[in-house]
Amino acid sequence: MTLRVFDPTNESKVAGVRPAPRPASLHGKVVGFITNGKEGTKGYFGHLDRMLRAELGVADVVWRTKSNYSAPADAYIVDEIKRWHAVVAGVGD
Amino acid sequence: MQLSIKLALTAKAYDVDDFAAAQELYHSNGWTDGLPVVPPTQAAVEACLDWAGMPPDQLIGIEPVREQPLTAEKLAINAVMAGCLPMHFPVVVTAWQAMLKGEFLLHGTTSSTGGCAVLAIINGPIRLEIGASPTFNALGNSDRATSVIGRAIRLGLINLMDVRPGSIDRSTLGHPGKFSYCLAEDEEDTDWQPLSVMRGMPQGASAVTVMAAMAPRQLMNEWTTDPKEILETFAAEMRTNQLTYSIYGGNYVIVVPKQLREHIQAAGWTKQDIAEFLYERAQVRRGEWASVGKGSVVRERADKVHRALESPDQLLVVAAGGPAGGFGAVIAPWMGSKTKAVTAAIGACIDCEPSKR
Repeated sequence: MTLRVFDPTNESKVAGVRPAPRPASLHGKVVGFITNGKEGTKGYFGHLDRMLRAELGVADVVWRTKSNYSAPADAYIVDEIKRWHAVVAGVGD
Repeated sequence: MQLSIKLALTAKAYDVDDFAAAQELYHSNGWTDGLPVVPPTQAAVEACLDWAGMPPDQLIGIEPVREQPLTAEKLAINAVMAGCLPMHFPVVVTAWQAMLKGEFLLHGTTSSTGGCAVLAIINGPIRLEIGASPTFNALGNSDRATSVIGRAIRLGLINLMDVRPGSIDRSTLGHPGKFSYCLAEDEEDTDWQPLSVMRGMPQGASAVTVMAAMAPRQLMNEWTTDPKEILETFAAEMRTNQLTYSIYGGNYVIVVPKQLREHIQAAGWTKQDIAEFLYERAQVRRGEWASVGKGSVVRERADKVHRALESPDQLLVVAAGGPAGGFGAVIAPWMGSKTKAVTAAIGACIDCEPSKR
């Protein structure tokens, strides 16, 4: 006997997110880091900071740490993003 | 004349040859927890919705970080798959409503490498109506109701929030409670107030409390009747968790079975007394981290005191377990107070207009 059964997954479409325009170059630009503050982020972002400045001519790198590493970035950090040309958000585990 | 209009299910349907083919469909799509599922047929799904009085498109809530909406129909499909009967469905719905509260931090807790599971604790008359058993094997899926309700929560996470191992679920280890982590409180065999009442629900109301929880840590002390000595064993287990897992304070559950519970009750101790005692006793100095191999993160703060509970009301005391044995359990939070336990009344309307008089 045939059984008719149903898809258990979330089929509803969530509003899409459109990426910001990509900068053609990072030379002279400001890059923001949003870290979760975990131990592993220090080495990773420290290395990336040096690379961006030395190899790509980034003018400034701004470090911000989330108050809760498992929650989205705090509102004041999100507000700051508009003053940066690019942002890198990474996990340090 | 009263017209009854039943809305059709809108989920994508699949026709399969038989029960075995249904299993392969669900397993091959990654829609299970690895165990067989009950095929969610139209009749079974609609029976759950009818029992809860919900149309298929009723919005249960929206996960706030990834903005994933959750409808009654999709949750009912997962509940049926888990083995739920219609009478179990309102508990599953309420658990999910509680999990979707911001303070529960659903995305953070379920995507963490920490590997917690959602613990659900049921209080009130619904425990008896659904046959939830709070005695023997209380933390080991003691009965049909708690087993399938806990499983429905997990299947919902997998299918509705993509909390699959390696996908959103980044748990390094996880723990066996992920299959199902649900228990009922033994309200009939204790003098203590039910957990739900301690957390602000009306006496006599059915409620469910959810918490992002690590695995139970079982303890034993059958060599005293002194409440302080019994609770020192619980405090020691909490301190151990602080040192070996996470030092930060938050909601802890302690499960107190009948044998130890009777000693504590006989001395006149209430749940509040227990919470205040453990608030004082479950604390460590940061410098103690050095004794468990974590000396490198003590730094200059060796004398800083960390309490397992930031306040006594963070302790969730649950009367449950078999009648014999001087055992108990401590269930630690996923990560301090970054997530909060949430208690919600079953069957309460969360978005109704206040009554107008």
